[in-house]
Amino acid sequence: MFENTEDEHPLTVSEITGFIKETLEKTLNDIFVIGEISGFKRAFPSGHSYFTLKDEKSQISCNLWSFRFPYLKFNPEDGKKVLVRGRITVYEPRGSYSIEVASMIEVGIGDFQQAFEKLKLKLKDEGLFDDKYKQTIPEYPEKVAIITSETGAVIEDFKKVAKKRYPLIHLYLFPTLVQGKGSVESVVRAIIKANNCGIDFDIIVIARGGGSIEDLWTFNEEAVARAVFASKIPVISAIGHEVDYTICDFVADLRAPTPSAAAEMLLPDRSELLERLKNYSYSMEINVKNRISSLRDDLDRIKDNYAFNKPRDILNDFKIRLDDFSEELVKFTDDRLKYFANELQYKERLLSGISPEKTLKRGFAYVSRKGKVISKKKELINGDIVEIHFNDGKSEAEILNDNG
Amino acid sequence: MSKEKTNKDSFEFYYRKLEKILEELEQNIENKSLDDIILNYQEGLKLLKICRDKLSEAELKIEKINMEK
Repeated sequence: MFENTEDEHPLTVSEITGFIKETLEKTLNDIFVIGEISGFKRAFPSGHSYFTLKDEKSQISCNLWSFRFPYLKFNPEDGKKVLVRGRITVYEPRGSYSIEVASMIEVGIGDFQQAFEKLKLKLKDEGLFDDKYKQTIPEYPEKVAIITSETGAVIEDFKKVAKKRYPLIHLYLFPTLVQGKGSVESVVRAIIKANNCGIDFDIIVIARGGGSIEDLWTFNEEAVARAVFASKIPVISAIGHEVDYTICDFVADLRAPTPSAAAEMLLPDRSELLERLKNYSYSMEINVKNRISSLRDDLDRIKDNYAFNKPRDILNDFKIRLDDFSEELVKFTDDRLKYFANELQYKERLLSGISPEKTLKRGFAYVSRKGKVISKKKELINGDIVEIHFNDGKSEAEILNDNG
Repeated sequence: MSKEKTNKDSFEFYYRKLEKILEELEQNIENKSLDDIILNYQEGLKLLKICRDKLSEAELKIEKINMEK
């Protein structure tokens, strides 16, 4: 076929591309095309829109300059069927062609959209989206099953959030196909397996990153929806970006706008929990301390009013017990919980007000036998040798004529 | 339909117990004997420590399920 090349002047790539450009742009300079929008995105910050127009067999790239966007009478979205008016342009550096859209109207919903709406209606009528079937999402999950692709950002993002927020969980990855052939079966199998593999999962997270309507289609399939509905374990659905809604989202017990958001919605935040524990510790202490000092006040009042009528040993008994508790409180805290040091200091300061020394200084004494404090009369029998502790020392004494 | 089982060694188990004690010490302290108060307080401190340790020392565990089996 190259025999006569000397007669034919060979064209450069630029020459043939230029020829194609001229031919196409001249003849196809005002065309009407019907198709379904796919992969629609608005570039930032230019505001130009890019998408693909497609039907069953073919597809063509389209662009819509930002200044034309405000004239659209509808919100262009994946799956919408549109009539586009525009012209073909050839971009020479890439040898590609596309439609430069001048205007565009919606002419009904596309096939995907139609299938979506149909299934949604059907399952809704059957009650699959009803609130009464929604299972509660656990507050402090332990075993988390995640159904997603083994590779890619989703699992990594989830891990990252879990490590930061709440690394107490045990995460089980069910590697699945999340788009294309075999993905529906793969997802369904993973859901069934999570329910039957003998691990008592608290939650299943089904996740997939963003993509076109076709990429996400697996999660609009009836089989997946039914498997999610049948799951005895609560399911969180986190498919695509914020704007993407799938049938799976509607059936699931909770929809998360993105996979990372799923991790954030599911897992409590440990720094928040630690903060809460700090408050608990403080409030527990305050309550105990307040109660002890109010008991002391009560005793003091009784003492003032009835000091000469009431047997003193009853009062002493209470005083000593109170003081013992105070000491125990301090000791326990000190021994076991070093990191409460600050609170402890504070407490010690407060508790010093009710130490035995002060009580003794006020003229009370307490009785012990072999180092053990005697708080009840019945603990003593005649002839017991006891020690009486005063503020400035102790004396030995014998119990005499105790007739009970 | 939350499941009642709470693992006996989970954060949640100890945390719920702590909340209960806190509630006791907040709302019911006037009806308690000193012995009970001190017992509650000690138990509370113990639970606080367990909860803190669990939060601070946890490391994410990850396992891959074999889908072939």
